[in-house]
Amino acid sequence: MKATLIIVNHNGRDLLEKSVPAALEAAEAGGHPVMVVDDGSTDGSVEYLRGKFPGVRALALPKGGFGVACNTAAAEAETEAAVLLNNDVVVRRDFLGPLLEGLGRPDVFAVGCKFLNPDGSLTHALGNRTSGRWHRGLLYVHHETEPHRLEETCPQLYANGGGMAFWRDKWMALGGFDRLYHPLYWEDVDVGYRAWGRGWEVLYEPASVVFHEQGTTMGRFHRPAHIELMSAKNAVLFTWKNLLDPELFGQVMAAQARWAADDVLIGGLPPRRRALWAAFRQLGEAAARRAEERKERVRSDAEILELAGGGAR
Amino acid sequence: MNESRPCVLLLTFARRGEEEAIREGMAAVREDLPGAEFVALGTAVSAPVMRGLGLEDIILVGEDRGTQAVMREVRARAPRGTLVVYSGPGLAGHWKLELLALASGARRAYRWVPGGPMVVCGRLALAGSVVWKAGLAAVCLAVGGLVCGAAWLRLRGGRSGSGG
Repeated sequence: MKATLIIVNHNGRDLLEKSVPAALEAAEAGGHPVMVVDDGSTDGSVEYLRGKFPGVRALALPKGGFGVACNTAAAEAETEAAVLLNNDVVVRRDFLGPLLEGLGRPDVFAVGCKFLNPDGSLTHALGNRTSGRWHRGLLYVHHETEPHRLEETCPQLYANGGGMAFWRDKWMALGGFDRLYHPLYWEDVDVGYRAWGRGWEVLYEPASVVFHEQGTTMGRFHRPAHIELMSAKNAVLFTWKNLLDPELFGQVMAAQARWAADDVLIGGLPPRRRALWAAFRQLGEAAARRAEERKERVRSDAEILELAGGGAR
Repeated sequence: MNESRPCVLLLTFARRGEEEAIREGMAAVREDLPGAEFVALGTAVSAPVMRGLGLEDIILVGEDRGTQAVMREVRARAPRGTLVVYSGPGLAGHWKLELLALASGARRAYRWVPGGPMVVCGRLALAGSVVWKAGLAAVCLAVGGLVCGAAWLRLRGGRSGSGG
């Protein structure tokens, strides 16, 4: 099986200096192509790539956001599988073999890497053995950080978009990352959840190790408050689009209605009232996506969470 | 507890990272009430944070203890004042803590916003804050209900397919 390694970049020329050589080294043995999709950089990333790494395909796009860049690159790839990598992710030389081996299992849509901090630690590392549960109006995603629970290949809710392999045909069938979540966050959770909903699986592969400098990319271009608001808005849109169980959906909507009051009574919370309003402005879009999702769903919401790792702690 | 020293009830969510703010708040109260001894209201989660601040006298809330039993214990300490530690800017949120401060019977409330001045007020002003926030919350709940109700009506439509 051949897989295109796709590095997504926006004004991260300095990050590419580390991530591209590592990807090239990992891809070399299997003859896998490497592509950098550039989302409207203005720091000379594309020129740098073309000059320094002629063997890398540089796909220069006008600024359209992370999701659009990933979708375009996945459509442009000519291999049956693809591997998405953030520009701040440095792969270990042997990361690709186990990742693609996982894809070979029946009905697998995607396989996620094991994310470590640059120093090899797991503290606050995100994207490992993910699972979820519905709580107070949201899907709470659990990222496993206990070392002993991160040693086996197993199902997970979604694969972190910063380091995941997937079948391109399934990706295209899912429509890739949804623009609903523009500009950032929750698009990878969404695609994983929908893959489970269609009867496929998402796996976690501990032998596929990558090093991720958490927050490097987003922290450069967005204020923390903006990141928090967008993340909260997208968490709401995720529920509106994907939660199809009528009873659970009613409970979740009731919980979301209480958020505005919670903001006043409790304080110190994420900006949920503003997030709710921002999501409401995309209600029409969310409703259309929900209708599409309904047609394709073969598993209930409860089954998805159960199969995808069940009951986050 | 030393009977001759004024007792102050510490009310905080004691979220991780707020330790410094709590410590500063306690120091500010001691400027007004020299020798004040603090008794804290805490949960199993917040108690370790409070112990880390050197607070040993903690009245535990939750689990098998009802609110009435807790409040009886609080009132038995006859607190002279209460220290409410807020998380964010202004005196936003922390409604439950303000309600507890009122119920404690203490005559004075020290409202501490990290990085801001200490706001000292009496029971009437504190009651005003509780009522104002409750009213505002009711309005917000109504608006939230309208927004989510409209969203729910829109999203529950078109029940074709096999979902759920």
